[in-house]
Amino acid sequence: MTQASPRNTAQTVVGALVALTGLGLAAGAFSIPGEAGYGGVGPNFLPWLVSVVLLACGVLIVREALTGGFRDLEPPSGAERAWWPGLVWVSAGLLANAALITTIGFILSCTLCYLLAVQGLRRAQGQTPGARDIAVDALSGAVISAPVYWAFTKFLAINLPGLTSTGWI
Amino acid sequence: MEIFASLLQGFATAVTPIHLLWALLGCVLGTAVGVLPGIGPAVAVAMLLPITAKVDITASMIFFAGIYYGAMYGGSTTSILLNTPGETASMVTAMEGNKMAKSGRAGAALATAAIGSFVAGTIATVIVTLFAPTVADFAVKLGPPEYFLLMVLAFTTVSAVLGQSTLRGMTSLFLGLALGLVGMDQISGQARYTGGIPELLDGIEIVLVAVGLFAVAEVLYFAMYEGRTVETQNRMSRVYMSARDWKRSIPAWLRATAIGAPFGCIPAGGTEIPTFLSYAVEKKLAKGADREEFGTTGAIEGVAGPEAANNATVTTALIPLLTLGIPTSNTTAILLGAFQNYGIQPGPQLFQNSAALVWALIASLYIGNVMLLILNLPMVKVWVQLLKIPKPQLYAGILIFATVGAYGMRQSAFDLVLLWGIGLAGVLMRRYDFPRRRWWSA
Repeated sequence: MTQASPRNTAQTVVGALVALTGLGLAAGAFSIPGEAGYGGVGPNFLPWLVSVVLLACGVLIVREALTGGFRDLEPPSGAERAWWPGLVWVSAGLLANAALITTIGFILSCTLCYLLAVQGLRRAQGQTPGARDIAVDALSGAVISAPVYWAFTKFLAINLPGLTSTGWI
Repeated sequence: MEIFASLLQGFATAVTPIHLLWALLGCVLGTAVGVLPGIGPAVAVAMLLPITAKVDITASMIFFAGIYYGAMYGGSTTSILLNTPGETASMVTAMEGNKMAKSGRAGAALATAAIGSFVAGTIATVIVTLFAPTVADFAVKLGPPEYFLLMVLAFTTVSAVLGQSTLRGMTSLFLGLALGLVGMDQISGQARYTGGIPELLDGIEIVLVAVGLFAVAEVLYFAMYEGRTVETQNRMSRVYMSARDWKRSIPAWLRATAIGAPFGCIPAGGTEIPTFLSYAVEKKLAKGADREEFGTTGAIEGVAGPEAANNATVTTALIPLLTLGIPTSNTTAILLGAFQNYGIQPGPQLFQNSAALVWALIASLYIGNVMLLILNLPMVKVWVQLLKIPKPQLYAGILIFATVGAYGMRQSAFDLVLLWGIGLAGVLMRRYDFPRRRWWSA
């Protein structure tokens, strides 16, 4: 019997997530009507198939995790343990972007996303950015976002949200 | 002769200044994407798919093909000069390339990689020119049962390839299928797994999955795990190959082209197998002093072979895409999406209905190869400068481009939330070695 390491616990959780996804899909499949058209296969056929296979895969993955860990595992690159603040910073940037892009426009919203993400990424490297770094980051975020925005709105006529309807900001 | 006439027509279209400009832009962008860590050609093309709304199809296809090609050239620069294993395709190049660079022969390694890519790319383009029309003629005869079996073959080979875990491969495949279920069923019009969110009725765009799984996940992964990884860069040396280098490289390029070209035509999981195979062949065939360089000071065949095999595979991957509409790699899957954005379904009819487009595309591959040789040999020092961009700024910048790709597709802020979610899933998959490509090739 192998000792349960933190790694195996995490692997068990991953397997359980897969199995849960399978169960969730199965639960959803109940609400999909199954009358098959002339094709002989109804809209709920694939959902059932996928949920059953995923459930089975999840169970097998949990079994692997509990009996000595994943087989044929390529060791992941990078640090042994996750640095969670990094996840928080970058996620904050992405989600702020999603929440604000339609109100404050592409340039400002992407600048904010860049600013937040770069703080996390700098800290992940062990830097402690000062006020000057933050100002530089805000500026460089705008310097990247603005030309991208102009290229798409002016040159390619693709609709990206702006703070004003001029297409410049 | 008919082929030759069509090809000439293609050249006539491809050499118009505007198309040459698009090709150059694509090659430059592609090389940059290849050199920079964080995004690959598939994601780059995916991010730029919104341009299909405005740019005409020939121009955008020439542009995308340039990116696709350019990334292959650029990728070798990074794998030779940086001591971090990148994508699997360039991993093989890195094995010997790094050793050569450490013993002061970075220039020779870069040269053999660039010229080898050119030789293999050009030969493979000739193969595409000669065989694609024949395959298309044959493919007209295939019906739904044959296509179904081709898809089954694609799925099974994709999940059985190499020593990776079949269980996790299957899991990835079905997670991908699960994602594909979201939205309106194409046959019955029944909504599936939309949870009452109207945005989900249209399904989840493959572009969103590609950008989330590769670009956003890469940024998150770096923030969580790789911030402290110390990266060292090898010294550049003069880009020059001696007579002995040529003598060893030329046979390796040709052998690798022969190995790589067939792999592009079959859905066998991209460039991993042919590059590894070519490396193994070169190592086996090497004798005496050349053999001893493998794994010690770095053997030039070990760079020449895999790089050429890589480009041959990538080029011939266009045959199944153009003639059958079946993508055999990440990037061709996205290119398929680009065709579909124009309402064109690649397949046997493409050579008849859109002959001008196809031949212009093929002609632009020849032109692109020449452009890339110039961009990557005399100008390689310019690209090396890109490696100086600090990672935090680079990765945060990638998020801005990811936003354009994801938002520009359907103008929906909801897609940006999905992008984040898919990015998180991508981190888990990378950490626990679930093949991500399988996920979205489904």
